[in-house]
Amino acid sequence: MSNTLLARFAQNVFWLGRYIERVDNLARILDINETYARESHGSPDWRRVLEIYGDTERFDASRVQTGEHDVLNFYVLDTKNFGSLVSSVNMARENARSIRHLISTEMWTQLNTFHTRVLQLTQRDIWPTHISRLCKEMKEACQTFEGVAEGTFFRGPAWHFYSMGKYIERADQTTRVLYLGCDLLEEDRDAVNTVRWNALLRSVAAYHAFRWVRPRGHRRGDIINFLLHDEGFPRSVKLCVGSVEIHIENLVLRRGQPRVPAVENACTHLNFVLETGLGHEISAPALRSFLDQLEIGLIRVSDEIAAAYFRMG
Amino acid sequence: MFDLGITFTVYSGENSIDRTLPFDVIPRVIPAEDWHRIDTGVRQRVAAINLFLHDIYHDQKILKDGVVPSELVLGNANYRSEMQGFSPQKGTYVHICGTDIVRDDRGLFRVLEDNARTPSGVSYVIENRHLMMRSFPDLAEGIPIADVDDYGRQLAKALAEVAPEGVSDPAIALMSPGVFNSAYFEHIFLAREMGVPLVEGRDLVVERDRVYMRTIKGLEPVHVIYRRIDDEFLDPTAFLKHSALGVPGLFDAYRKGNVTLANAVGTGVADDKAVYAYIPRIIRYYLAEDPILDNVPTHICREPEGLAFTLEHLAELVVKPVGESGGYGVIIGPHASKRVLADLRRKLKSDPDNFISQPIVNLSVCPTLTRTGVEPRHVDLRPFAVTGESTWVLPGGLTRVALRRGSLIVNSSQGGGSKDTWVLV
Repeated sequence: MSNTLLARFAQNVFWLGRYIERVDNLARILDINETYARESHGSPDWRRVLEIYGDTERFDASRVQTGEHDVLNFYVLDTKNFGSLVSSVNMARENARSIRHLISTEMWTQLNTFHTRVLQLTQRDIWPTHISRLCKEMKEACQTFEGVAEGTFFRGPAWHFYSMGKYIERADQTTRVLYLGCDLLEEDRDAVNTVRWNALLRSVAAYHAFRWVRPRGHRRGDIINFLLHDEGFPRSVKLCVGSVEIHIENLVLRRGQPRVPAVENACTHLNFVLETGLGHEISAPALRSFLDQLEIGLIRVSDEIAAAYFRMG
Repeated sequence: MFDLGITFTVYSGENSIDRTLPFDVIPRVIPAEDWHRIDTGVRQRVAAINLFLHDIYHDQKILKDGVVPSELVLGNANYRSEMQGFSPQKGTYVHICGTDIVRDDRGLFRVLEDNARTPSGVSYVIENRHLMMRSFPDLAEGIPIADVDDYGRQLAKALAEVAPEGVSDPAIALMSPGVFNSAYFEHIFLAREMGVPLVEGRDLVVERDRVYMRTIKGLEPVHVIYRRIDDEFLDPTAFLKHSALGVPGLFDAYRKGNVTLANAVGTGVADDKAVYAYIPRIIRYYLAEDPILDNVPTHICREPEGLAFTLEHLAELVVKPVGESGGYGVIIGPHASKRVLADLRRKLKSDPDNFISQPIVNLSVCPTLTRTGVEPRHVDLRPFAVTGESTWVLPGGLTRVALRRGSLIVNSSQGGGSKDTWVLV
């Protein structure tokens, strides 16, 4: 019975993985933006975050004020924003609730406590003096969950769907952050604007990892290639796509599920884009169109997984 | 922690659609010889109930012999004529039974009610023990307390025993109405304890009279369903048409013997108030034994001596109409006005068949922690019996306690709590 998983539960656990990862990523972005990503007058550039998530239009349409507090409110507390931190934690818990008998008690308890904490958040928590602490707390809660899952979640089919959700979300996040690289490439054609490139690295927890790989400085395009292709960096698109493939393969080899060519083809295609889609001379337009292809490829993998496994038919 | 008013949230930090049950920290201790009586008594009772159900859904000998009045069974709202002639595996209708037991002022254990449909509460038995052991790890040291952790395994084993013919490694599922059901936590708990999928109606499908669940692999067969959903909602093509919780075709698959439902359909007729009064006779009829656990003495008003006794002692008795459920129309003699009693007397004379009467049972008490220290509070006990080929009773049970002084009402909705129950071995 341990290899039987209801389609509905596969979907729930996949989205549990995605939402936890999403909250972790969002908290990191908000924190980094507050701390490092200052514009020329030294105040945080909040439009950047809206651009990363493609929320500029939705945000502008929903309110008159567009100050820092409003953006933070939109991304942290606003339950009408389905992408806010509170909404995402709600969704993570809702999904976990349906599969409570499949996940470990420790996972449920940790998430439930986290959820209770998130419900108590107030405007005060997103004040400039508090936001960094809040982001740290949210990030740590997600990382704790992830650690509890690693240590207690039974390695059956549910685990693979949880992991696939996590890695697809992570690849998506790194891809989104890379769009910021397009702007940086445009803005300074020759120089390497260290501060803002570093902020980009920090947005995906890559700063120290990149230093490790390039201790004596770097050339144009190195950072982009690192975030795309590095096989040791846990948030590189390549590592994430590779991890999704490993989990799909394990479903077949170790959990007795049939092969699904459509899913495997979508992954192969995504890898092909990743390997060949970006030439040596990285320009802003080339990067933008490459990232677009990558996004489409990721969506296709996600859709094929849904079609193959989550159908109720 | 010792202050009363600390409501132990057994399932920590839930939102409002999940239940919490006040927990009293002083365990109830049941000595081995008392437990022996309960254990054998419950098994005897479950055996008789299963034989009774088999009989009334087949030859109806007990009705023909006049031991139980036919109209009481055949006219019962919970009697399912669709079950006539159908034989569940191993003759087991009631796979899970919760028997509500009280102890009277003479120290005798008496059965108050049989719960033969979808009894709940077993998760509290086990969670209460865990809570107790976590909070007072040294309290039980050196005391030989029976373990309650085996329930899930015993249940899975019993359900496997009653799988359809020829299925050697049956797929078992627990069927729940969903997250909004008040016992949903227990469904999660049991699915986890048994290691089986927790399904809802929408996860199941019937094709050519076989039941399947929708998995990541496609449709996979289901052989045994522990359903925590009432008969009426099981199958919209057989029972309530508008049930969105059920599975179309499930009942046909069941009748064809391709899937086992636990409990069987139509067991409600055996735990009915009217039939309850006859259980001691049912035990004697099928088993030729005296009941090990008595009923609360019950006077059946359709019988002349029962009616005479009831009329004579009206002011001391509890009179219950048999057709009703949930306490409707129950009249408690000592609390009733002269006018109500006079009215009741008239009704009894004109329609005696519709009534039974019982003395007021002075429930036993257990030491319980209250605001003003340790005080006696009234308790009852619900042991859980699991039946596949044979019957096993979880050594423990749900002790419910009336937290209000003097109150006899142990229901959680009316100020009741629960205790850990220690069966000594």
